[in-house]
Amino acid sequence: MNSLYTYLFLAALLFSLGIFGVFQRRSLIGMLIAIELMLTGASINFMAFNRFLAPDPIVGQIYTLFIMGIAAAEAAIALSIIVAVFRRLRSINIERAQELRG
Amino acid sequence: MMNLWTLFVPELYCLLMAVVFFGLALSARPNPRRDYFVALFMAGVGVVVALACVRLEGTLFFEAYRVDLFSQVFKVMLAMGFFLVVCLCTELNGIEERHHPEFYLFLTTCTLAMMMLVSSVELLTIYVALELSSYSLYILVPLRRGHGVDVEAGIKYLMVGACASAVMLFGLSYVFGVTHTTYVVEIIQVLPGVIGTPAAIVGLLLVLCGFFFKLAVFPFHFWAPDVYQGAANQVTAYIATASKVAAVGIIIRMVALSGGNSKYLVDMLVTLSIASMTLGNLVAIVQKDMKRLLAYSSISHAGYVLIGILSMSAIGYASAIFYALAYLVMNLCCFLVVVKVAHDGSDLKIAQLAGLHRRSPLLAMALMLAVFGLAGIPPTIGFTGKFLVFAAAMEKGYITLVIIAMINATISLYYYILVVKAAYLMEPDEELPRLPVSIPTKVLTVALVTVMVVFGVFPHHLLEVARAAARMLM
Repeated sequence: MNSLYTYLFLAALLFSLGIFGVFQRRSLIGMLIAIELMLTGASINFMAFNRFLAPDPIVGQIYTLFIMGIAAAEAAIALSIIVAVFRRLRSINIERAQELRG
Repeated sequence: MMNLWTLFVPELYCLLMAVVFFGLALSARPNPRRDYFVALFMAGVGVVVALACVRLEGTLFFEAYRVDLFSQVFKVMLAMGFFLVVCLCTELNGIEERHHPEFYLFLTTCTLAMMMLVSSVELLTIYVALELSSYSLYILVPLRRGHGVDVEAGIKYLMVGACASAVMLFGLSYVFGVTHTTYVVEIIQVLPGVIGTPAAIVGLLLVLCGFFFKLAVFPFHFWAPDVYQGAANQVTAYIATASKVAAVGIIIRMVALSGGNSKYLVDMLVTLSIASMTLGNLVAIVQKDMKRLLAYSSISHAGYVLIGILSMSAIGYASAIFYALAYLVMNLCCFLVVVKVAHDGSDLKIAQLAGLHRRSPLLAMALMLAVFGLAGIPPTIGFTGKFLVFAAAMEKGYITLVIIAMINATISLYYYILVVKAAYLMEPDEELPRLPVSIPTKVLTVALVTVMVVFGVFPHHLLEVARAAARMLM
């Protein structure tokens, strides 16, 4: 278990699950959770590279702390906009938001 | 110690502005005139401050933050973009009056974050600066008054943006894993040696994805039309100008990391550039809404800028910097007309431009020159920018790419001409009153037009600055 590749594989798996979730989920909250999964994948990568390769064993952990903090800020903004969407459309299903077509 | 703080003055000044607007936001009674004049004055001083600091050099915060000519030139452009967008806010009808201080507050924090972005030379600093600028924009987009499409645009922008930044972060982790460092200076030394390994190239590409989202390069473009249409006109003007300039700055810095000897990266950038240009230009043809048209035109212009960047030479980077500046001026001029014609804060249809040459000859002339500039017709600054970018690519022998870009420029001429036709040849169904254009607006319009023409004919001074800035990267 104590090898770099185990962790890299786990991180890549989480990241892919996140991407899959963003495309597959129709609920805004579900998409937000999927994005958090992607961020977690990146965090695990940082921790793993830090543990096995980096000369300075602190950098990766600091990164992970920052990622957690920033993800919290992002979730706050996302949830507040989701509340605004819900007030306007009475739904948080992305399919209901179809007035603009990219 | 004193010396170190002076390096950080433009950013500190932005922070001070943000504090002032935060204070204004706390006041009980809305007062749009006061907010506007405070913003105008402080943004004007901000340009002076950025100009005064252009010659500074040094590093800050344990080498994580580098102040050099490259970053300072971009800071001047950002401060100018911010000032010009504030100039457009005389009638900020798209946003409720009690939200005006917040509007200026988030514009300021976004400018601050972008100034930090172009100066950051450490991966975590880059990430934090990028997120701060994105979050400010996520909030600005749904601020629009009672439209309904604004929150929809806001949530789309946020979801795509959050995805792009997660992808970027994943890429950063690979770059960290391959190079074992997070400082750009050290990465530059290590990365060209290992750029052939899959982890390094995948990492760098994923990192670029995050910035491509900002620049609206294919395949991260699909937020642009919705956000441009959904956001208030002034916010759109800001997203279309200042945020694009910052994205160009950071992409140049990141691409310069590869050291110019990665064939995969060049191939990938060529593909993205061609896809962006072609898609942007073809879809723009069918647009009826002026802001959506400008959104697709911005996607195609992202493709042109990439041509300069992917040349990966000092001249290529300099031409990209010049192009970014040209794009800033031309696009602001277009949005000036959009904001003034749709002064009630609504969306502007291209058909609504009908009879503009009679309603306001000055605005019609400015629109024509700006649009011709975007299409790349001499003697405007847009032609010079395109010429420089193409010349840089020709020097590297990318002749097919340049030919495709030329064809694209010709296609784009069609829909730009449609806009000019609407403004000059079409007559409105009913007679519309003359547009009231205030003296400051006239001065601003004339200034923008002068810049577009004068620097189109005599680009040497600007080009020298761009070259000196690009030399900092090599």
